Amino acid sequence: MRRACLLLLLVLAPGVLWAQASQFGVRGLGFPGRALAVRSQASAGGFGLFDPESSQNPAALASLGALTSVFTISQNYRTVENPAGSASLQGTRFPQLMVGGPVQKQPAAVGLSYSNYTSRDFTLVTASTIDLRGVPVNVTDNFSSRGGISDFRIAGAYRVGDKWAFGGGFHLISGSNRLTSTRIFNDPGYLSSRQRSELSYAGVGISAGVTRQFGPRFAVAGMVRSDGHVNVDRDVFRVATVDLPYTFGLGMRWSPAAVLSVGAQTIVRTWSGANSDLLALGGNGAQNTIEVAAGAEYFTDRRQPTRQPIRFGARYATMPFPLVPGEQGHEFGISLGSGVRFAQQRAGIDLSLERVWRSEGVYSERAFLVSFGISVRP
Amino acid sequence: MRWGFGVMVAATILCACQEKLTSPADCPALCPGGTPQVFDTVLTAVVGADSSYTGYVQAHQAAAMPVTNGLEGFEQRGLVRFLARGDSVTLRDTLRGYTIDSVALSFTLATRDTTTTGLELLLYRVAPGFDSTSTYADVAPAFVPESLVAMVPISDTLNSGVVRTVLQGTDLSKVQLSPSDSGTLAIGLRLSAPTFTGVRIGALAGNNGPVFTTYVTLDIPDTGTAKLRNIALTAAANTTVSEASPVLDTTLLAVGGAPSSRSLVRFALPPRIRDSATIVRATIELTPVAPITGLPNTNVSDTIPSAVLAKPVLADVGAKSPVSVDRVRIPKDTLEVGATAVSMEAVRLVELWIGAAARPSSVMLSLDPEASSFSHPVFYSSRALDPALRPRLRLSYLLRFPFEGP
Repeated sequence: MRRACLLLLLVLAPGVLWAQASQFGVRGLGFPGRALAVRSQASAGGFGLFDPESSQNPAALASLGALTSVFTISQNYRTVENPAGSASLQGTRFPQLMVGGPVQKQPAAVGLSYSNYTSRDFTLVTASTIDLRGVPVNVTDNFSSRGGISDFRIAGAYRVGDKWAFGGGFHLISGSNRLTSTRIFNDPGYLSSRQRSELSYAGVGISAGVTRQFGPRFAVAGMVRSDGHVNVDRDVFRVATVDLPYTFGLGMRWSPAAVLSVGAQTIVRTWSGANSDLLALGGNGAQNTIEVAAGAEYFTDRRQPTRQPIRFGARYATMPFPLVPGEQGHEFGISLGSGVRFAQQRAGIDLSLERVWRSEGVYSERAFLVSFGISVRP
Repeated sequence: MRWGFGVMVAATILCACQEKLTSPADCPALCPGGTPQVFDTVLTAVVGADSSYTGYVQAHQAAAMPVTNGLEGFEQRGLVRFLARGDSVTLRDTLRGYTIDSVALSFTLATRDTTTTGLELLLYRVAPGFDSTSTYADVAPAFVPESLVAMVPISDTLNSGVVRTVLQGTDLSKVQLSPSDSGTLAIGLRLSAPTFTGVRIGALAGNNGPVFTTYVTLDIPDTGTAKLRNIALTAAANTTVSEASPVLDTTLLAVGGAPSSRSLVRFALPPRIRDSATIVRATIELTPVAPITGLPNTNVSDTIPSAVLAKPVLADVGAKSPVSVDRVRIPKDTLEVGATAVSMEAVRLVELWIGAAARPSSVMLSLDPEASSFSHPVFYSSRALDPALRPRLRLSYLLRFPFEGP
């Protein structure tokens, strides 16, 4: 019954799952999410392909030892700079939700998860003077978007012996952008105008992954994913079909000592497949991306590795949707975090603090990301 | 360590759920879809489809009586008939006779030219048989010195309020009621002033009509005591007669007058505006055939300044088209004496013309207050040879924003 309630909650929750906002999410499908649980975020994503609470590699589910549910909340504090000025922004998002567990009497595990795929949360303001009826009138334009695309994954993993684990996942990709354009005239003779539109997205994808343990201290993981395409409807009309990327990931995990584990991974996404579709829609296109992450986890208590480990890491990534045609943005981040388990390991709290720098030409952004994860193993 | 972790968790929770997403935008990079474009266009009324109609509000239905001494080249006079006064009063279930001590006639001054001094309201005794069809010529014989009841000076400092005169003694004979009058007093009003001007006197329809008050002493023989009473009678009817009636030109658009005229003007919105535009400003512009006339310098005193209204037509069936009474949707322009143009901000009105349940793109022009204004504006119609003189609708609008998708 309790499991059923958790699953029901999971199914009803898609509308709240968006990751952080960014001015680099204004174009294209938005700012990509990372599908990471907080404990992987704390190590910059270096263990993402091995983390069963994250949604990057379905094969990682095989390491789940008990029914587990994970909820993530993320608060961001950003400083945005562009030629029009700068602003300090903040927002709260819920980027990752997961429920999974082992299958009884089988070397297998299944899981459901909702992850942020892309996010388009922003409000942009411009001020200008236009000539109306021969008189200059100051106007303020406000363009905002709320929403994004979510990734609902149904995945399973099967362990073969002690070394191999294979996994597969089916992804439902859906979401919406609620767009609003407002113009306010600094002349009481003019009414302000507000126009709304809603973009909705729907698509499916599949993923497969593998993990291989080489002895007790070293493991590698790989994954591949195809998301096909996403249908885009504006209000009630189909306006486009946008190709989504193939994703390839490769990672390693090494434990040089009993109290230290290090991980690194690279994920490549072929976003350029969406380039022609976005250009046809009047956008700036899309480019392939690469994300390289490395992190470590230091166990302060060798007997209880889950008790307040220290996690840290760094990552570099390029961004798929340029603000200026032909350019490509990138981001660099460093992270730090920890976690605790309590109630006989049945519950846990993870915390991560990440500092990221993003830039593309004259556009830049600095952010602190504070993420807080709750995991329950009933 | 555990405390520190707890503090961090608490801080995270406390700081969470705060949103601030507004940032400056640098276009075009951060302006997907571009910026909204405002278009400006001027539509003239549909040629030959505008008309004036007369007979909406009669002089006796007006909210006030305009009384002038030749302001517009002709004189306007007011007529008031009070309710009938009985020859006895009921006291303690008994009809009692009475003796008249004095009478008072009071009128409400609604509008005047505040710069004109030396105004006098002349009250004449007229036959109570007048009605809504009575003309200036019908009642003119009563406005002779022999019928003069009183000359009521209007204080130069009184901009609006009650003007009152009291008759007693021998003057009571001027308002004595005879059986042939059926106990009804009728008074004619005329304005005297050193210059051509006018005043607006409160009327029955405006709930501030004239009042005829009789102060009496009751004869009560069984007690031997005298009882003082007053008998206040409001107007039973009032109207205005004008020395000259305006002649309507069917090629022009007239509003106002008594009986009042209204003008129906039709516009044709282009489909691209009707179907998908967001109107941010709409101005109806009218060109008077001659500079606006009327009573000047009324700003301080005028409780109902003359204004041209453009009422949305709910169903276009010609002269009897029903119109909206929603004040938000009715633009108006207060008339200034000497003005050579009239314009009304009508965006809330034009909004009714677009969308799925669009109303007819027509307006009914009228004058407020009807049948009691000193102005009788006449505008060029769509038949004017010069298109610049025709009724115009100046629209500022935005088309559907080209939301980039995605």
